[in-house]
Parts: sequence; structure tokens; C-alpha cells
Amino acid sequence: MEWVDFFLQQLITGLSNGMIIALIAIGYTMVYGIIELINFAHGDLFMLGAFLALTVLGAFGLGDWSGASAWAAVVIMLIASAGFCGALNWGVDRLAYKPLRNASKLSLLVSAIGASFILVNLGLFWGGLPMDVFAGGVAAAAPKDFPALVPNTNLLGDDSLVQFTPKDVLVWAVTVPLMIGLTWIVTRTRLGKAMRATAQNPVAARLMGIDTDRVIGATFLIGGALGGFASVIYSLYNNTISFQMGYRAGMDAFTAAVLGGIGSMPGAVTGALVIGLVRSMSDAYLETRWTNTIVFGILVLILIFRPSGLLGSRAKEKV
Amino acid sequence: MSLLEVRGITMRFGGLTAVDDVSFNVDQGQIFAVIGPNGAGKTTLFNAITGVYEPTEGSVRFRGSPVRLEPDARLGLRAAMVAILAGLSAFLAINIQELWSVGIAANYVLNQPFPWGKAAGDALDAARAVPFAWGVLPAILGAGVGAGTVVALWQRSRRTPDLIARAGLARTFQNIRLFTDLSLVENVLVGMDSRMRSGFWTNLLRLPSFSRERTWTEREALELLEFVGLSERAHEAAGSLPYGHRRRLEIARALASKPAVLLLDEPAAGMNPSEVVDLMELIRRVRDRGVTVILIEHHMKLVMGISDRIVVLQYGKLIGQGTPAEIRADRRCVEAYLGTEGEG
Amino acid sequence: MRRVPVPILAYFAVMAALPLFMGASGLFYDAFQAIFVFSLVGLGLNVVTGFTGLLNLGMAAFMAIGAYTFAILTSDIYPFQIGFWWGILATVAIGAVAGFLLGAPTLGLSGDYLAIVTMGFGEITLDVLKNLDAVTKGTQGINPLPRPTFGSWSLDLQEERGWYWLLLGFVLLAVLAVRRLERSRSGRAWLSIREDALASQCMGIPPKLTKMIAFATGSALAALGGALFAALLSSTGEPASYDFQVSILALCIVIVGGMGSVAGTLVGAVVMVGMNSLVLVKLADWAGAAGVGNASNVLASPNNWKYLIFGLALILVVRLKPDGLLPPRLEGSAS
Repeated sequence: MEWVDFFLQQLITGLSNGMIIALIAIGYTMVYGIIELINFAHGDLFMLGAFLALTVLGAFGLGDWSGASAWAAVVIMLIASAGFCGALNWGVDRLAYKPLRNASKLSLLVSAIGASFILVNLGLFWGGLPMDVFAGGVAAAAPKDFPALVPNTNLLGDDSLVQFTPKDVLVWAVTVPLMIGLTWIVTRTRLGKAMRATAQNPVAARLMGIDTDRVIGATFLIGGALGGFASVIYSLYNNTISFQMGYRAGMDAFTAAVLGGIGSMPGAVTGALVIGLVRSMSDAYLETRWTNTIVFGILVLILIFRPSGLLGSRAKEKV
Repeated sequence: MSLLEVRGITMRFGGLTAVDDVSFNVDQGQIFAVIGPNGAGKTTLFNAITGVYEPTEGSVRFRGSPVRLEPDARLGLRAAMVAILAGLSAFLAINIQELWSVGIAANYVLNQPFPWGKAAGDALDAARAVPFAWGVLPAILGAGVGAGTVVALWQRSRRTPDLIARAGLARTFQNIRLFTDLSLVENVLVGMDSRMRSGFWTNLLRLPSFSRERTWTEREALELLEFVGLSERAHEAAGSLPYGHRRRLEIARALASKPAVLLLDEPAAGMNPSEVVDLMELIRRVRDRGVTVILIEHHMKLVMGISDRIVVLQYGKLIGQGTPAEIRADRRCVEAYLGTEGEG
Repeated sequence: MRRVPVPILAYFAVMAALPLFMGASGLFYDAFQAIFVFSLVGLGLNVVTGFTGLLNLGMAAFMAIGAYTFAILTSDIYPFQIGFWWGILATVAIGAVAGFLLGAPTLGLSGDYLAIVTMGFGEITLDVLKNLDAVTKGTQGINPLPRPTFGSWSLDLQEERGWYWLLLGFVLLAVLAVRRLERSRSGRAWLSIREDALASQCMGIPPKLTKMIAFATGSALAALGGALFAALLSSTGEPASYDFQVSILALCIVIVGGMGSVAGTLVGAVVMVGMNSLVLVKLADWAGAAGVGNASNVLASPNNWKYLIFGLALILVVRLKPDGLLPPRLEGSAS
């Protein structure tokens, strides 16, 4: 049954892409949940994570990556990018958002847009590094090849029409444990409790002795780190990165967060999987050039019938 | 028939029943008080009456009618129009390229008169030739989604606060909600909106009726500020008012729509004794204007002093109603409320 | 009680006089023509976001709708050719209808949900313009477009001063319209929704209709800006000229200028667009003249610092002037 194979293929692609989007979307939804900010810089943070990963790889030299050394490199990149993005997100919050805690939400949003522009520009400069991985840095703005550390062989055998590759395995092996770990942090630890309390009512949380600034900082740290993980698996999955990729990725992830109900982590994952699937199905069965239109059309329709997203709870305003 | 009839109102939030099967009637010209301990469901009841919440069960009748949109011809017309528009859009979204090429591009020659009739005919022929799956089917789907959207959105807005305000029920809020960046006059003018007639074009083009309306509305807004004693600060920002005055401005804003019923949610909260006396006086004067007043209040002196009728809520249930004297004599009510919290 | 809008009068006096001290052509005109186009878009967004408090991240889409409507109806590659002035009128009308139609199903959504829908609308509009290339001519854009005519005289494309004053005239009209609306029942209803949506509704203001009128007004102004932008270039340009960056630029104009302030929007447009098309271009020129514009080093070209400067400026403005450069003043309180 050829069409079954074809459909399964789209399912796999869609879900894998969806899981990558989900990691980024969680970063949006966590920050939104706690300070009600659409963190515009988050997508660009993700982009810088990919540039860092490539730089780390370049520092080891562009050898012939295979077998164990490739997997070791993947682990190193994951740790480096996660740490970098976490720290960077924390820093952006300190410098650009924290001074505006009491300002209007729109000022905060403009500050985030400003931060986003700065990060994009840093990405452009980064691409100009005179390293082999950046093709000598001559054409700074050009997309960069990301070495195929993870092979594209079909795990289901060469005869199978359905492609299931180590890349897909990588995506799931990274994202699922991260999501389980995050759920554990949020539901079981003191920090998680403090995060939920701060999200619900920052003033009351502060009165109860919670250091809300630290909690917000931790939220940015965790959200950023997830973006860093996502940037590495995205780069290994797609093998090309560009300083402009933060916009597209951020847009998808933010759409996912809203679709699922912004502020809700299961919602962000659900929304991301829906978007991943809609994208791959639309690419395969309709036309690629209409995919964006279809994604946003579905978003609008869902929001008309469920104004708080798929899993969002409609908060009743206190009157 | 009473002016306002509350019949079996129940409000549930998840597992919590905030208001449980509450019924009462309010007559024209009364000052009517709702009392009860904190968390008894008084404000929730107000929200259910004024359309902020949709009651889980029960109904509110004002002058004998449930203030609520009923399905009518206009809804049908709107659904039909949107359906046609959405269906046509879906059809065109898929086929416009083809129709444009056949109808317009193929017939147009620069600097020659354009054969409109032929173009339309060609485009129509092309439209008829579109296969079912790419023509009629998307059009039907589009029309269905369009009509469904209209009905879904209408369903959600059948009993909204603005509808109820326009019917003649005005309110104030427990935690005062003024338009703080607008001046006092402008706050009152917003309250007067339902009585204004000038539309977008009148305002944009400054037609004669614009200045006529501006004259009488501004005069009346100043009169209302005078009535609550704030006319001296008419052009200051509402946000600059001291707390005690804010309540008064809220009352003036609510009165601006010439309501039949005014609902006051804890008007005396945070006031000192002399301000409370002034407030009682103000509420009486509001009643004397012919406005029926319903108030939530903890301040027993005020409630007992001015109310014609009182209902007592506890844990969302109505446990007693009557005149102030009757409530004082009712042991259950006294125990529930007066005994523990009453201040004389 | 009627306050004389001194900053606005001063703005128009200075702007009208400026070209008399400039040459008949040059960078100055490119920059200020862009500033005026974006003033219109900014004034429109100021109605939606500044007055009514609705975050709209898709203003560029309405510019695009304006530009393409105007182009299709007036260009001589299509048979309609209704002429410049009728084209402008039709554009404003269709811009308003587009805003109304987008608003009808979505304006019930709360803040950030609406923001993502408008952002999505921007993306959809771009895709549609790209994909329907039989109508929109894809990346070529639709051209040529007609020049404005006054009787038998028509304004030549090279006539920089004429275009400058024409655009300034449109800005003046838009300012008049927006201020008239602001200081009337319509404007008060918008402001009340921004201040407290629930209280406003409980005072009998129908939220959806009021928001839809604000949306339609804003979209009509953005569409006007788009049409004039296209007329100025005698081409719609490619669809990508109306991308998300443009929507963000419009938003920054309003917020940097001062939300809800007409004078602020005008100043915001001068600052933001001026920085983009005057300061950065000048910097690049100087760098080129000094010989530091070295293509092989990404840091050497000032153009590559554009986003960084833009971003820093945004962060600094909201930090130092959180209410914008020229925040709205309360009617009557300023005497």
C-alpha cells in the first residue's frame, strides 16, 4: 500500500519537526506564563545556539565525523548550546526586561523586539568569523552548512519506502526526556512550585517569601536552555543554518504556544505537534507555497471556536 | 410585576458553587441591599445579573423580559451573507489565477477598449469548467465554515454586559474601575454613550448634529458631576482623584446612561464615617431621581439606615429577606452575619 | 477648553517649509517621503494600538492590500485604469473593508491571541501576493502606476518637492481625521476600551463593533500609506517589501513616539524612519568615503550594524522614556 507508506512518512517528518518546535515553544510559553511577555528574542536566541554549536564543532576541526566521536560531539554541542542559550536568555532578561517589570506590557514587548534585532545582528557578525565551518567568514550573511554528524540511513532497511533515520531517533531521544524532566521540575520541585506561584500572582508570591526575581531568572534560564537543545537538534536534522532562521522558527513556535493555549506547557507541545503535522501534510498533499497560509488559517479557525487555545483555560477576570 | 426578577440563579465555577439557586424581586423605586459575609457570592450574583458571567442556571428578568438576543431574521441574513462571501472567497482563492488569465489577461490589449462583456463571459465559462473538487466543494466548505462562525460568535454574545447596560442596568465595581487617563467629564461621557446618536461619519465630518450633541452631552455631564459634588475637578484626570472621590465619579458615570436600576458594589468600602454619611445622602438622592438602587454593602449602619429591603446570602444561598427590622429580628441572619461582623 | 495642538502645528509648519532650504532632489526627499508614508501607517496603527489598545502585528498586510488594490485598479497593464484619485479613494475603502473583515471574527480574542492572528494575517497576505502571480505579477510587482493629476497638470516622478508636499498633505488630512475622531464619541469609546475593557462594556459600549471601527479606520490609513508608497515608486515592488519588519517598524513608531499621541506618532516616524533611511545611509556613505567599507569584513560595513543600532535604540527609548517621546496629554489639563 503505497499511500499508507507515504502517509506514515509525513507523520514521522511532521512529528519530528513538531517536537523540535515544541522545545522552542515551551520557552515562549514559560516566559509568557510568568511575566506575560511575548519574548520576541527567543527565536533569535535559538539561532545563536545553532551558531555556537557550529563554532564548537569548528573548534574541534572539520574532521571526518563518524561513530562514537560523532555522538560525543553531539553531546558536547548539546551541553554547550544549552548552557550558552540559558545564560544568554538570563542575561537578556537582566538587561532588557528586568528594568521594565513595572512598565506597561507594550514597553516590555518593544524591548523584546529590540533584543531580537540585536541578536539577529550578532548572528550576522558571527557568520563572519574567519573559521572553516563558516566558509572562512567571507560571505557572512550566507546560510552555513552544518556537518551531517548524524547519518541519514534508513533504520527500517533500504527496501522500506518509509524513512526512519537516526536523525528522528535523535530528536525523540533528546526531546522526550527533556519534557519529562521539565514536567518533573515544574510539578515536583520547590523551584517549580515557586514558578507556578509567581505565574499565578507575583505580588502574593513575593509576600509569601518567594524571591520572584530569582524565579523569573530561573525561568529564562530553563527556557533558554531548551532553545539551545532545540537549536542543536534542528541543525543536525536540517544541516543548514542561517542568521535569519530565528524568525521562521520563532514564528512557528509562538504560533504553537498560542494554538495550544499560551502559558500551558502541555498546550505548547500539543500545538507544536499539530503545527508540525499540518506543515508536513500540507507540504505533501497540497502545495508547499500554501503551507504558511494553511497553518495560520487553521490557527484562526481554532481560535474562533476556542478563544484560549486548545488546552488553555479561560481565566475569568476578577471583577 | 417587579422591575427586576432574579429567578433561581446558580453560578458554578468548576466544582465550586458560588451562588446557589437564589431568587428575589426588586421593585421600582426601592433601595435594595444584598448582604452577607465575605465570599458569600454577592459580587458573583451582581456579575450574573449584569452579564459579566453567564449564569449556570436560572434567569434574570428586567421589566418582564430576559435581556437576551433571540435568533432573528437579522442573524439569518448575516449568516447567509457571510456564507456567500466565504464560499465565493474559497472558490476564488483557488481559481482566481485561471479566471484572471482567461477573463482579463487574454482579452486586454494596451490602449484598446476593453471588451467587458466578452471578458465576463470567458471568465464565467472558465468558472463553470472548474472540476467539482476544486470549485463547488471548496465553495460549500467555505460557506459552511462562514455560517458556522457567525452562529458560534453570536451564540457567545447573546447576553453581554453592554446589552444589559443599554437595557437600563448600570453598575459600579467593588475595586473601582475608572478610565484613569480620561478626564472626569470624559468618564461621564463614556457612560452617556448609549444615549448618543452621532455615528462615525458625523464625528469625522463634524456634521451639524455633532456640535448639537456635544453641547447637550457636555452640559449634562457637568450637571452629573455637580450632582455628585465633583464639578470643580471636571477636567482633571480620573487617575488623579483621591480614593473617596473615585466612588462618586463611578456613580456619576453609571448614572449617565439614565439607568432604571443602579447596582452599587460596596460603595462605602474604605470610607471614613463622615464620608459614609455623605454617601447615604447621595444614594437617597439617586433614588429620588427615580433610579432603583441595589447595593452590596458590609457597612451595617448604611444598610440598615437606607434600605427598603434586604436579602442575606451565606455560602451562596439566600438565607433570609425582608425589611431591615425583619432582618434584625431573624436569628439565622443575625448569626450568619450581624452577630459576627456587624458594627451597629 | 479647546487646546491648540501646538506640537502638531509646529510640525506641519516646519515640514512644509523644509524643502525650501533643501535642493530640488537628494537623499533628503527619499527619507522624508518614506517618513510621510510611514506617518500614515503609524497614525492608523495609533488608532488601533494607541487608542484602542489592540496589539496589531500585521499592519504591513494592510499596506500591501492598499498598494496592490491601487496598482490593480490604476495600472495600464490591466483594463480598470480608474486614475490616481479614484484609485486612492477605492484603496481607502477596500483597506477599511479588509480591516473590518479581519476584525469581525477575531476581535473577540484577547490581547496576545489577537496579536498572533494579525501576525498570521501578515504572513498569509504575503503568501497570497507571492502565489497569485497571474494577478500580482509575483516578485516583479505591478508597474507602471499613474501619476497624480491636477486638472491637466500631472506630477512628474522626478518632481521630488511636489511629491513631498503631496504626501505631507495626505498626512495633514489623516491627522485631522484622526484628531476629530479621537475627540468625539468614537474616540472616547476606543480609549475606554484601552483603559478598562470590562468597565467600558458595562457602560454600554459594544466592544466588538467599537473595535471593528477602530480596526477599519487603522487599516484604511495603512492602505492609503501603501497606495502612496506604490505610487511614489510607480510600482508595488515585490511582496517582500511588506514583510513583518515593516509591521514592526510601524509598531515601533507608535510606541517610541508615545502610544495614543498623534503628535508622538509624527515624531516617532521621523525618528524611526529617519534613522533607517537617513542616518544609516549617511553613515554608510561616510564609511565608504573613508575607505573602511571593506566587503570582506562583516564588521566594517555600517549597513551591517543596522539592526544592532535599531535594537539598541528601541531598548534605550523604552527604558528612558517609557511613555514615548511625546506622550499624550490629557485634554484640558495642560494649560
